[in-house]
Amino acid sequence: MSRIFVTGMGVISAIGHSVAQNRQHLVSGTCGIQRALDLFPTKYAGLLPFGQVRTSTETLVKQLQVTDPGVTRTSLLALHAFNEMLEDAQLSPEDLASPETALAGASTVGGMCLTDELFADANHHTNGSPYTSSYDCASVNMFLQKRYGLKGIINTINTACSSSANSIMYGAMLMRNGFARRAIVGGTDSLAKYTINGFNALHILSREKCTPFDENRNGLNLGEGAAFLLLEKEEDINGKKVYAELTGYCNANDAYHPSSLSDEGDGPYLSMQGALQVAGLTPGQIDFINAHGTGTENNDEVEGRAMLRLFNTAPAFASTKSFTGHTLGAAGAIEAVYSILSLVHQEAYANLRFTKPVPSTGLTPVLAHSPMPVRHVMSNSFGFGGNCSSLIFSKP
Amino acid sequence: MLYIHRTYCISPQQTFGQVDLETIQEPANKRLLAMEPNYEGIPPGVLRRMGRAVRMGVGASLPLIKEGLPIDGIIIGTGKGGMEDCIKFLNQIVQYEEGLLAPGNFVQSTSNAVAAQVGMMTKNKSYNSTHVHRGHAFENALIDAVMQLNQFPGKNFLLGGLDEISDFDYNIEELDGAYKKDPVSNKVLFDVDSAGSIAGEGAAVFLVNDQPADALASIRALHILHSEDEKLVADTFRQFVEKNRNAADTIDFFLSGESGDNRTRKFYTACESALPASTPVARFKHLSGEYCTASAFGLWLACRLVQGMALPAHLLKSPASVSTPQTILLYNNYKGVQHSFMLLRK
Repeated sequence: MSRIFVTGMGVISAIGHSVAQNRQHLVSGTCGIQRALDLFPTKYAGLLPFGQVRTSTETLVKQLQVTDPGVTRTSLLALHAFNEMLEDAQLSPEDLASPETALAGASTVGGMCLTDELFADANHHTNGSPYTSSYDCASVNMFLQKRYGLKGIINTINTACSSSANSIMYGAMLMRNGFARRAIVGGTDSLAKYTINGFNALHILSREKCTPFDENRNGLNLGEGAAFLLLEKEEDINGKKVYAELTGYCNANDAYHPSSLSDEGDGPYLSMQGALQVAGLTPGQIDFINAHGTGTENNDEVEGRAMLRLFNTAPAFASTKSFTGHTLGAAGAIEAVYSILSLVHQEAYANLRFTKPVPSTGLTPVLAHSPMPVRHVMSNSFGFGGNCSSLIFSKP
Repeated sequence: MLYIHRTYCISPQQTFGQVDLETIQEPANKRLLAMEPNYEGIPPGVLRRMGRAVRMGVGASLPLIKEGLPIDGIIIGTGKGGMEDCIKFLNQIVQYEEGLLAPGNFVQSTSNAVAAQVGMMTKNKSYNSTHVHRGHAFENALIDAVMQLNQFPGKNFLLGGLDEISDFDYNIEELDGAYKKDPVSNKVLFDVDSAGSIAGEGAAVFLVNDQPADALASIRALHILHSEDEKLVADTFRQFVEKNRNAADTIDFFLSGESGDNRTRKFYTACESALPASTPVARFKHLSGEYCTASAFGLWLACRLVQGMALPAHLLKSPASVSTPQTILLYNNYKGVQHSFMLLRK
């Protein structure tokens, strides 16, 4: 089976507009979560902290030279990361538009970031806004397809918060099954009144900056962002720069509850175990886990318990959601980039604001930026509907 | 590539139980709404809480799972799954000015609710995925199933395509120009020369594996493409036909996803004319209506046809005496951009 390598990356999040900026803030421990949401009017703007990308939608439109009407912030964030990935990988326009180049993206919010426009159009209060074909999750990749004349297989996956881990897996599968020679994989989501109110109704939004894996954690912070990675086969590398090898992936379901994980954490356990199997690795070979670690009472305890069950002694781990907030459908891809940065720079990033372990697990995450040998890194993404996925990246 | 062993289809026509495609059910209020079964086996309390897309998806999946084979993965394609709950929740946000809201609609509004519910209700902890790429949502789910079977030979997967008409999505699509302005009977859908189609919905679910024994049909090849260029589409279609031409697979039936929208007719005409003139052509969107995953209905119909279902005359584009097709080429096109070619054989 052909080996699959990551040869290009792009990311935008609350801690930076590029891979380099994101790493700089991960190293310095600079959190991007603030109580300063100014994208749209909502009563939670001054009340709750969010991981907002500090560039307005209007500025993104100008910077990215987007002239088509009806392009949403979710698509703009995606385009920003997509462009960085393209430049980084030096992918030619011909290769980009080749029928052999697939795009597997992910989003859970799509055009629903335009909550007020959607409300007006859906309730027939208008004669049609410019956004009538932009509300679904597919609108992002339809936009990228059109902008770059992409001719390969295009897909959008929505498995809630594990969406872009699954799009990375799907892209790799397309390559291994002869449906694509290379695959652009990733995900995007922007902050929306919709998701803020949804997670608030579930009482899992923290009033303070989130504290993943801490005994007194009290919920997550929503964030936004996008990331894309280029996957290429070993035989196409020809001396190109290679960041990492995608060695393991697995998707499993917890099959327990629509919005929380089972006590035993069967879904997380099975996805981590399955990824190890695909990679042909033993638990002891994982040096670091970029945990899902949302900061909710349910997730962090169950994830910790599942790690102990599989690894006996948990490897070094941390949640970078303490920097970015939970970026939902983008999280799997953004954290894949962070996991790869850990491999490239042989370092682990801190789990910010942790003070005391959860009593039932006693687990303490990495507390400060730490240089360390990293050969294999696992990245976890778990979502509503029990959708759990784990990826493993290895040093090439 | 993959073998289809069982199917269940909920659609605007009588497609479950005693299947009857001779009688055409007509639209109400410009919508071809699905005829739903009694959903035996789903507790009434659970059923009441389900949105329509979830209800149809779960309702079409459970009968296939109950029939005995272990299921090693659930793969769903839906373009708009969860939209109704999404707007219901949105309306709550506006109505209660972001006050204390009930989270039920929010949780059901994520597109993965169907695959998740099926997984939960059947305690299925295996592979579980939801593809939402609009007019290619079902096609990507199908590709996913093919790839899973390559990786895990001998396993069984549940593959489904489903979408619902919700009032809200209907409004948005109407504003977007997806539907004909004046009410039209589906019996004359292909005779009216105007823009737009007719809104439809449904859930078609398939039990698939890599075992040829006793299969209803097999998917031999699949190609998908985004393009607004009819020449590129026709060329790609020709290449697809050429590539899959062999003694065993003489295409003897063309199933067209023509939707009555005069803006997309040129693509269907171009592909149709790439096949020998003697190839019978049948259409199905007057039965299903148009929606993101209508190709799943098309695939269900193709399975029936290769199984020897008597062919209702209204399916045929031009009158012909047709014997049971052996190899069907299904071409679908969503909104003039998303094209799919599927080759199916008995």
